[in-house]
Amino acid sequence: MSEGPIIEVKDLVRKFGNRTVLNGVSFTVDKGDTMIIMGGSGCGKSTLLRHIIGSLKPTSGSVKIFGDEVTTMSKKDLERLRLRFGMNFQFGALLQSLTVGENVALPLIENSKVDPEIVDLVVKLKLELVGLTGFENLKPSEISGGMRKRVGLARAVALDPELLFSDEPTSGLDPIMTAVIDQLTLDLTRKLDMTAVVVTHDMTSAFRIGTKMIVLGAGKRAGTVIAAGTPEEVRNSPDLEVQQFIKGEPDGPVPLKLAPEDYIVRLLGQERPKSATS
Amino acid sequence: MAGLSQFFSLNAQILYWIFVAPFQGKPGVRASAVFHQMVNIGVQAVPMVALTSMSIGVTLAMQGAHELSRMGATSFVPDLLSLSLLRELAALMTGVVVIGRSGSAITAELGTMKVSEEIEALEVMSINPIRFLVVPRFIALVIMMPCLVVFSNYIGFVGGWIICLFALDMNTMSYILRIVDSAHTMDLASGMVKSVVFGWLIATISSQKGLSVSGGAEGVGKSTTDSVVLCILVMLVVDAFITACFFFIEAPVS
Repeated sequence: MSEGPIIEVKDLVRKFGNRTVLNGVSFTVDKGDTMIIMGGSGCGKSTLLRHIIGSLKPTSGSVKIFGDEVTTMSKKDLERLRLRFGMNFQFGALLQSLTVGENVALPLIENSKVDPEIVDLVVKLKLELVGLTGFENLKPSEISGGMRKRVGLARAVALDPELLFSDEPTSGLDPIMTAVIDQLTLDLTRKLDMTAVVVTHDMTSAFRIGTKMIVLGAGKRAGTVIAAGTPEEVRNSPDLEVQQFIKGEPDGPVPLKLAPEDYIVRLLGQERPKSATS
Repeated sequence: MAGLSQFFSLNAQILYWIFVAPFQGKPGVRASAVFHQMVNIGVQAVPMVALTSMSIGVTLAMQGAHELSRMGATSFVPDLLSLSLLRELAALMTGVVVIGRSGSAITAELGTMKVSEEIEALEVMSINPIRFLVVPRFIALVIMMPCLVVFSNYIGFVGGWIICLFALDMNTMSYILRIVDSAHTMDLASGMVKSVVFGWLIATISSQKGLSVSGGAEGVGKSTTDSVVLCILVMLVVDAFITACFFFIEAPVS
């Protein structure tokens, strides 16, 4: 197998029109790592993930998976690469026309020639992993959002990938299920040597499963990495915004309330008129 | 213009997945998916096609009889029926029914899948969405359109027969003989060519409109409307073109 990092992201920049969503993001993920990508809502976490899996093309910068450049990869190579990783979408992204079981079986049936009986067994196995035994024959529209997410996870690991991407796997789940999914991710990475990249803003689960973390900034530092390293390093980061984020405080570098002057400027688009002050 | 190049690219990809990919050891198209779509698009359209064709048959016979009776030529009603149904109306009316039923459904379905990330999920699983979603619908339409048109022809003749039997005092036997006698192979061929081309156009236009949806539920609605309007427009223009082709091919003969 290739030596060196499994994923290597370098100076990734992505602009949508005038808005810069990713502004020079760099990090590496080694084999067996669980990389946590944190950051406030709308700071570009999912966008970053989409660039890594090759769904979106960056404005500049490079993304390497297993040592191969993803951003310039041909469709054919990308298809082959994608067989080696699983992706768990934020809202599950299950095919509504298929049942839960068929959804999980889909990667198996379409990408490999496996006996139907074995497919059946694998589907049961994977659904058991996420605690959804007996739901095979329901349609995605008949189960809850949290369950859909878990089916998405079962589908993502159906081919036993080397690399797992998970977009907010635990948001909207109850505490027990959150712990179950976290434990599952831990088992997959620790026991099966799978590498995982998890996007989340659930602090408990982030520190429970992560071996490496990056935090994306907000406001003026949007789209840049403001803290990176092991969970301990991030927890002890001197950066005030990181501390505010980890502790979940309403006020701090990301302000709760603007100063009156700033507020008026934002509201009116101009300084407060002098005459109105009296 | 970008839409047009996407359209041709989609056509090329569909043909690739049907005729090239299976011979390169790539995963082919699932027969079960094709049959599923054939039932959806073809079999379930039978009642609607029947009603439409029956109405057209009856209407044609009545109007034809009205005009022809002034020249005392009501016995030519079957000739009129066979010519217009076989060559034109069966294919056109079936096309309209299929656009309304299936063309719009294809756009809405693919569009919804697009906005709910399902298409992206397929791509990430290395499942080509065109092979998996578009090709079965394409094959189903290209096969079922001619079948529906043949069926539509029969029902249209039944409609005409009702008028001829009860209003024009023509007996069943002479009606059938007259129809068989007046219908030429070329009439049927013309209708069949049209039906296949219409099926092709409906499948590709509605799929392309579906795959290019953006902007949530509103986008799906807009694309579905666009798709139906565009399908009907293109179908009528192409119909004129095909009719012209047959007209100029056959002209020297007659």
